[in-house]
Amino acid sequence: MNSLIILAALGLIILFSEIFNFKKIIFPIVFAGIIAAIVAALGDWNNSASYFNNMIRTDNYAVSFSVLILFITLLWFVMSSSMFEDQETRTDYFSLIVFSLIGALVMVSFTNLIMLFLGIEILSISMYALAGSKKDNLASNEAAMKYFLLGAFTTGFLLFGIALVYGITGSFNTDQISEYIMSTGHSSSPVLIAGILLILTALTFKIAAAPFHFWAPDVYQGAPTPVTAFMSSVVKTAAIASFLRLFGSAFAGPSEFWIATLWVISAITIVLGNILAVYQTNLKRMLAYSSISHAGYMIMSVIALNEKAASSLLFYTAAYGISSLAAFMVLLIVSSKSGTEEISGLRGMFSKNPIMASAACIAVLSLAGIPPLAGFFAKYYIFSAALQSGYTGLVLIAVAGSLVGVFYYFRIIINIFESNVQMNDLGVNVFNKAFLLICSLLALLFGILPGLIIDAI
Amino acid sequence: MIYYKEKCRFDNSQNKAGQAKKIDKMGAGSMILLILCGVAFSAGGIILSRILSRSSYNPQKGQTYECGVPTIGKSLVQLNVGYYLFALLFLIFDVELVFLYPWAVVVKQVGWPALIEVLVFLFILFLGFLYAHKKGALKWM
Repeated sequence: MNSLIILAALGLIILFSEIFNFKKIIFPIVFAGIIAAIVAALGDWNNSASYFNNMIRTDNYAVSFSVLILFITLLWFVMSSSMFEDQETRTDYFSLIVFSLIGALVMVSFTNLIMLFLGIEILSISMYALAGSKKDNLASNEAAMKYFLLGAFTTGFLLFGIALVYGITGSFNTDQISEYIMSTGHSSSPVLIAGILLILTALTFKIAAAPFHFWAPDVYQGAPTPVTAFMSSVVKTAAIASFLRLFGSAFAGPSEFWIATLWVISAITIVLGNILAVYQTNLKRMLAYSSISHAGYMIMSVIALNEKAASSLLFYTAAYGISSLAAFMVLLIVSSKSGTEEISGLRGMFSKNPIMASAACIAVLSLAGIPPLAGFFAKYYIFSAALQSGYTGLVLIAVAGSLVGVFYYFRIIINIFESNVQMNDLGVNVFNKAFLLICSLLALLFGILPGLIIDAI
Repeated sequence: MIYYKEKCRFDNSQNKAGQAKKIDKMGAGSMILLILCGVAFSAGGIILSRILSRSSYNPQKGQTYECGVPTIGKSLVQLNVGYYLFALLFLIFDVELVFLYPWAVVVKQVGWPALIEVLVFLFILFLGFLYAHKKGALKWM
């Protein structure tokens, strides 16, 4: 709870910095503010309390995902420092990012459907603006427009779903909703089913799962690379965490029909995301499709819905967030130096930039799920959670999907190690090298000691 | 936080309780009826006006309605749309008013804390206004 207040104050301080002209030193202030928010969030550990008339509860689930989101944002700030170089716009971007973090934290700690809606909106509206932050770039404008129109449309779905659920249960509170459904046995009421499916549609749109994934490749490709990295790590983590929180608490009672729906969505997402990624030549677009397929794996934890679901999802989002940040960092450096976002732009990277090339390889191998990296154990825990609940067929599809995934991830590695072409020295600065090193070490560390995260909740 | 499936299988014997009946009546039938009524309402208006209205075709009908004399030259010229910034700033005061009305209703019961809270709220809104001013949103271009 204190972390929310700290972030809100931090956002206001950023606005102050524009008014009173101390925006030159705003970067360390933001950094310190987010570290303070992490500390404040950790203070709520094992100390569950409700705030705002039972609208937010800081249980261990909320705390662990809040800390993960804030930590990934810290790493993201290191990665995207190039975005904040322009003095004209830096306060805009800083405040939008911090305000979107408030939305993300609300999304992982809500106990009230209105709070869920509010969190999604706070997060989304900042992202719409950030996606279009390259004002003179047509692709960026297109990305913002597409994201905004489709996002606003699905928000309507979410609200309609919430209204229908409220109509049946008479409450916005997730505990009361589940209590009501269980005590009266209204799980077969068509209005309730329609409401739950509408909410499910809206949330699967936010995590870009098929068949609601069409916006993702265009938006991911058009938005500035740091914003894309933020969307694919922080936003995706917050959305899937709120998904599990809502469907694991409020709608856990009538689970048969929406699990059947999610089963199909997850299978389609894994198959479609992986197969379409094979055909991409643009690295950014390929990472977009890979993030779609990862959304499919993440949904498997919601389908499993057992005591392993939350911890395996936390591990998966952590592993995926770190690896995808590293991958986007490599893309950012290469595209800013060579001006191309094609996979062929990576050719021969190893000879002159060995540190960056190895970091890229570790990130990509972790995304593909090769042991002993974090990505392997992330998939392992998610699959074992799904197997425990008896979804063998889905796990078979997922394993086949990740085999396809290995194919296109290895194409990146083949390009990096190509010896015929010589790439120039990219002149990576110390900060970026340190960032890549930290990401690689974390991917290794979580792979060797998965208990660090998996036993946390 | 999370209820698991095993716990959540509700007892079917409770299902037979009479209180369930009332809401079950607003089930699939009424949903479909609502959708049909919605479609019929909007489609009916269009169809009815088609049937009832007399159709006439003259060149005047294709003209822009009541918009002055015919234009000289192209009407597709570039306009400065800078005024939208003022409209956006107006939103700040709009939001302020929306919250001040319910505040005014309860301020007497709540007392001093309400005054302080609304001052904090106004301060944050004012900060946003100041930020926009600093960014040059109020300059006429």
